[in-house]
Amino acid sequence: MSLLGWCQWLEHTSLATAVSESVWLFPLIEGSHILALPLSVGMILMFDFRLLGLAFETGPAARMMADVVRWSKYGFAIMFVTGGILFMTQASKAYGNGFFRTKLLLLVILAINAAVYQLVLYPKMPQWDARGGAPLGARMCGAVSLVGWIGVIICGRTMAYQF
Amino acid sequence: MTSSIRSFLDWCSHTATIVYIRDSSYGMPAVQSVHLVALTMLLAAMLVLNLRLAAVSMMDWSLPAVERQLRPWAIGALTLVVGSGTLMFIGNPPKYLANAAFLFKMAALALAVACQFVVLRRFFTSDPAIRRRPINVAIAVLSLTLWFSVGWAGRAIAFV
Repeated sequence: MSLLGWCQWLEHTSLATAVSESVWLFPLIEGSHILALPLSVGMILMFDFRLLGLAFETGPAARMMADVVRWSKYGFAIMFVTGGILFMTQASKAYGNGFFRTKLLLLVILAINAAVYQLVLYPKMPQWDARGGAPLGARMCGAVSLVGWIGVIICGRTMAYQF
Repeated sequence: MTSSIRSFLDWCSHTATIVYIRDSSYGMPAVQSVHLVALTMLLAAMLVLNLRLAAVSMMDWSLPAVERQLRPWAIGALTLVVGSGTLMFIGNPPKYLANAAFLFKMAALALAVACQFVVLRRFFTSDPAIRRRPINVAIAVLSLTLWFSVGWAGRAIAFV
């Protein structure tokens, strides 16, 4: 089955048709997707601010990171479930949409960025944690995250105008 | 509403800038994107602040320190949210004024801003979270419920 064929199949699953046809289910899921932004992306942006020295410069960064990640996990769980369902209801339109494709590409870049931070930069945090300012590599990751997540929000909002 | 305000809003909604934003293909998506990015920032700041008040997050910083760190971001984000929201409203004032969800949203927003930035400001800066108290948790829950109800009402504008 082609990717587009799979998208068309998704749209005709009973879950997708039930959501599309329900008066209140679609607004509820879409609203949850948007209002989970502060808990998911917003929490990560707080830590990006710490890395970039824009807020919370003083104080243990590794513990702030653990704290922020702990809360954002709930937000991202809501994001992926609601986002997945929203995609199912309009999969073939999303498939051909440039903003949706850009959003997915940005999400891949952000995942790689987070993995690099976790695997390479996180183990080095004790070296600078107590002193305050993050080194260049960590700042770069923070900048990619900040710009990338804002891009995801812009693409997500704009794609809906083209459906 | 008095007729002079109505005619002023009517004039605003016909200015070239507003017509361009409303009718061009990327005007509204751009304004909406600013609204969402700023909403994310503002509500994330409110989340962190109130989670700290409830003593369940950011325990390495005192509540006044968290409030001080977040204040410029919260006020900046609030300015962008209100500014972008105003551009949407001016595009079609009668539509919004007739929308129950919009009116509820404005009332909830006014209450949330008044509580967070005026009524509770001294409470937050007086370090009430130095001890764990049930009242802190209650205020945090009420405050976050109020802020997120503004968001839900905003989403409902498109559906009522």
